[in-house]
Amino acid sequence: MIPVPTSLSTENSLEEEIYTLGNEIFTGIGTQSPSTFDKKYWAALMMEWSMLQPGFKINMFRLVDVLPTLRSSKAVARHVQEYLGNFSTQLPGLGKLGSIVEWGLRGTPGSLRSKVVALGVRQSVSSMASLFIAGESPRKALKPLRSLRAQGLSFTVDLLGEFSVSEREAEIYVDRYLEALEVLGREVPNWTESAPLIPHHPGEQSAVCISVKLTALYSQCGPLNFERSVQVLVDKLSRIARKAKEARALMYVDAEDSASNPIIYETFKRVFGSPEFCTFPYPGIVVQAYAKEARSMLLDLLSFAEKRGAPIAVRLVKGAYWDSETILSLQNQWPSPLFAHKESSDANFEELSRILIDNHRLCLPAFGSHNIRSLAHACRYAESKGLTAKDFELQMLYGMAEPIAKAFSQKGYLVRMYVPLGDMIVGMGYLVRRLLENTSNESFLKHAFYDSQEVKSLLKKPEIHPKDR
Amino acid sequence: MFINEPFIDFTVANNRTRFQSTIHRVAAAIATQSYTAKPIISGREISDGEVFVRTDPSNNSTPVGRVIFASEAHLAAALEDLRKGAPAWNATPLERRAEILTQIGKRMRAKKEELAALMIFEVGKPWKEADADVAEAIDFCDYYAAEALATLSPKKMGELPGEENSYFYQARGICGVIAPWNFPLAIACGMTVAALVTGNAVILKPAEQSSLIAYEFAKIVLEAGVPSSAFAFLPGRGEIVGKGITQSPHIEMICFTGSKAVGLEILAACARVQPGQHTIKKCVTELGGKNAIIVDEDADLDEAVKGILYSAFGFAGQKCSACSRVIAVGDSSEPLLRRLGEAASDLIVGEAQSPDSYLGPVIDEESRARILATIAKGEKSATLLFKGKTPQQGNFVPPTIFKEVRTSDSLWRDEIFGPVIACTSAKNFDEALTLANDSEYALTGGVFSRSPANIERAKREFKVGNLYLNRGCTGAMVYRQPFGGFKMSGIGSKAGGPDYLLQFVEPRTVTENTMRRGFAPEL
Repeated sequence: MIPVPTSLSTENSLEEEIYTLGNEIFTGIGTQSPSTFDKKYWAALMMEWSMLQPGFKINMFRLVDVLPTLRSSKAVARHVQEYLGNFSTQLPGLGKLGSIVEWGLRGTPGSLRSKVVALGVRQSVSSMASLFIAGESPRKALKPLRSLRAQGLSFTVDLLGEFSVSEREAEIYVDRYLEALEVLGREVPNWTESAPLIPHHPGEQSAVCISVKLTALYSQCGPLNFERSVQVLVDKLSRIARKAKEARALMYVDAEDSASNPIIYETFKRVFGSPEFCTFPYPGIVVQAYAKEARSMLLDLLSFAEKRGAPIAVRLVKGAYWDSETILSLQNQWPSPLFAHKESSDANFEELSRILIDNHRLCLPAFGSHNIRSLAHACRYAESKGLTAKDFELQMLYGMAEPIAKAFSQKGYLVRMYVPLGDMIVGMGYLVRRLLENTSNESFLKHAFYDSQEVKSLLKKPEIHPKDR
Repeated sequence: MFINEPFIDFTVANNRTRFQSTIHRVAAAIATQSYTAKPIISGREISDGEVFVRTDPSNNSTPVGRVIFASEAHLAAALEDLRKGAPAWNATPLERRAEILTQIGKRMRAKKEELAALMIFEVGKPWKEADADVAEAIDFCDYYAAEALATLSPKKMGELPGEENSYFYQARGICGVIAPWNFPLAIACGMTVAALVTGNAVILKPAEQSSLIAYEFAKIVLEAGVPSSAFAFLPGRGEIVGKGITQSPHIEMICFTGSKAVGLEILAACARVQPGQHTIKKCVTELGGKNAIIVDEDADLDEAVKGILYSAFGFAGQKCSACSRVIAVGDSSEPLLRRLGEAASDLIVGEAQSPDSYLGPVIDEESRARILATIAKGEKSATLLFKGKTPQQGNFVPPTIFKEVRTSDSLWRDEIFGPVIACTSAKNFDEALTLANDSEYALTGGVFSRSPANIERAKREFKVGNLYLNRGCTGAMVYRQPFGGFKMSGIGSKAGGPDYLLQFVEPRTVTENTMRRGFAPEL
């Protein structure tokens, strides 16, 4: 299960192939415009946003985060004033929304002014949310999901709401998954668009696919409560898997923070290694390349797949909790379980991609990234090992990744969009993270604007940073 | 910059396994009656005396160890010894005293898991809290050693020729440290090493319920190099040894952490000058709290519920920093109370040695009876939102939440020192602040809010010693969150902070006219 070493000349020609594919994708994105007027508008806004001073940016995100809890226009207006009041001169630069807010901040706060501002802000945040969140419920998401399939993209549905303080809330969350499987299982197979995008691709044996965040299913989940956490989660995940079987749906289990992951992996293995679910088709689990232990986790999963006797799927991602994990490690004076440098995660992603591809008979590789280098490397390495488009897939987040998704899908690869569902309150944490990502300096939104030198450097082979060795 | 002793990372399986085996080892030692705490005077242990058997509060039956109680005669002997030894200790160079503190910290670090395990059995402190207690004790050693070196060296005041002013510190003399059972290692250690590094001789009288861990600490103090004539360890009855200490004419300072009632008694006793007493006693007391958390209308309720539950029920509410009042602003009230009640019902109440216990027992039968009686009374005067279930055996008190509590109710005003929360609601943030400040105590407080303006107001107007914003109100870390409050929460400066050591010394100024016959050396 160790990656098959390649000779230097093979490596060099592989690098050339990766560069060619990557370049084509960049070109493809450059010529595409976002499919809807909305997306174009928001893409431009986020570009502006990314250039704001940090203090302003942070306040914008905090305002977005608190917005759904505010029940009255007065409360909205007050919070807008508190968060953005000091930055009012910079607001008109933020398009229509900025102008409304700037107008609202001028003059005395009256109830009419408050109402207009509140309405404007709420609508804006709601629009932004709908870029990244397909709907409040499975029923409401059917149209956007169908539209994805029509565009040649597959999906996996995630239910937002990562935290349950009580078992009552945890049970509600389980019910939401059962309901999602019920609704999707009933409606989706009837669509003509649900016909397999790539014949014989294991990821297309059903158009219905869900992703589950385990820790939200048990309110007392934690490492000091390890055994009981696993037992409770095995029970709840089994109930969801049972329903998935009934609905003939595929499923992925998400990885989360490093404190929870040991519980998650143990639960996954117990459920999908059990007699009841050992033939469940391609149960998916996530491996996060930013974790120093990711390689050994992956090898452990592959050996589990071997014992299981039926393949699993592994979604390889970089990881989404870098900031909070790093802060926690620093505050606690514990060594960080993650690579400190982004480049190291990128390099690890490529090494783990190779391991996955070399073991594709044991597990379906799913590459979750918006990084064109990472994706091009996965595609080309797979092809260099004789794999075709039906042997692996690419995964991206619903929202602004559309141009990249389409570019790869047009090249014949299966691209699956990770589609979150949920209302504004549970969705805010997710929205803020997406906004952070899309307004950062490394945002792929800027991809369309890179010149050839920048493209070359973006497609360079990543190395583990010396400080991370 | 000072760095706190890291907590054990229990997310790592090996750490859990290793800690578990330490717990087994200590349990085995307990079973073979290995723990006996003895008074130590002049470096010698006293083996005869009244015997007190300390029982594990998690099951009320396992004898954890025996404590030989010191008598008045023992106190007298210790005092005689310390009066002789104190001047030499005061004269010991500051650097040496600081080095010894560092040694005390090192020795505790070398056996930190064993010390934590002992606390699990002796006072029913669950895993995380027991580990944090040892870490805090180590922190006090390292922090006060560094602070002493940085701030207690002699200074020259003024630079005029012909006049030399020196400002230096002397120890007060003998310091009586009366320690509580709730942070049985950390606070006993903090008060003791602060007194020692500043040059005072120390008599340490631990709480009866936590004399075994205090004895381990006392042995470490002497092993680390504190002279036997500068430190005496006297476990004993509060009304005998404690009283003797506060009434002694030969003890210059009292350092006490405990209840308001006992604290005020001690202050009164200290104010009385006894026959033969030459020095007005200095008293540093850290007393209780009735700490409130405000939940604003725009608060993140996930965080608020988590923060409140841990602040109120961690270590069964037996922390002076614990949250015992909740003030919900406006619309947050209904969803907060509902989720708080639901979340509380899923908490795991169990014996302290079980890693999954969110909270364990209370300290002893007396506390249990007292808190249960308070709860019963509360059920008549206020509305019960939630009362949990507890194991049959052991000193367990059910986590309890009352709502719509009137501010005149004893539930709102008096410290309970158990897992009981009194909730009320406020129309707006203004009223919430008024309600929060309406207490005879001012120790800790918390606010969950996402309104920058309200957060700023709270910083200025929520008058407590340790205010926490958007997190729970317990868990103060040495140096980063110096701990202590005012009003009835105590008198004296914050432990683990830059002013603490100054309380243990008396400054002296010496002025010399260096001009003779019209000439001075400096000109």
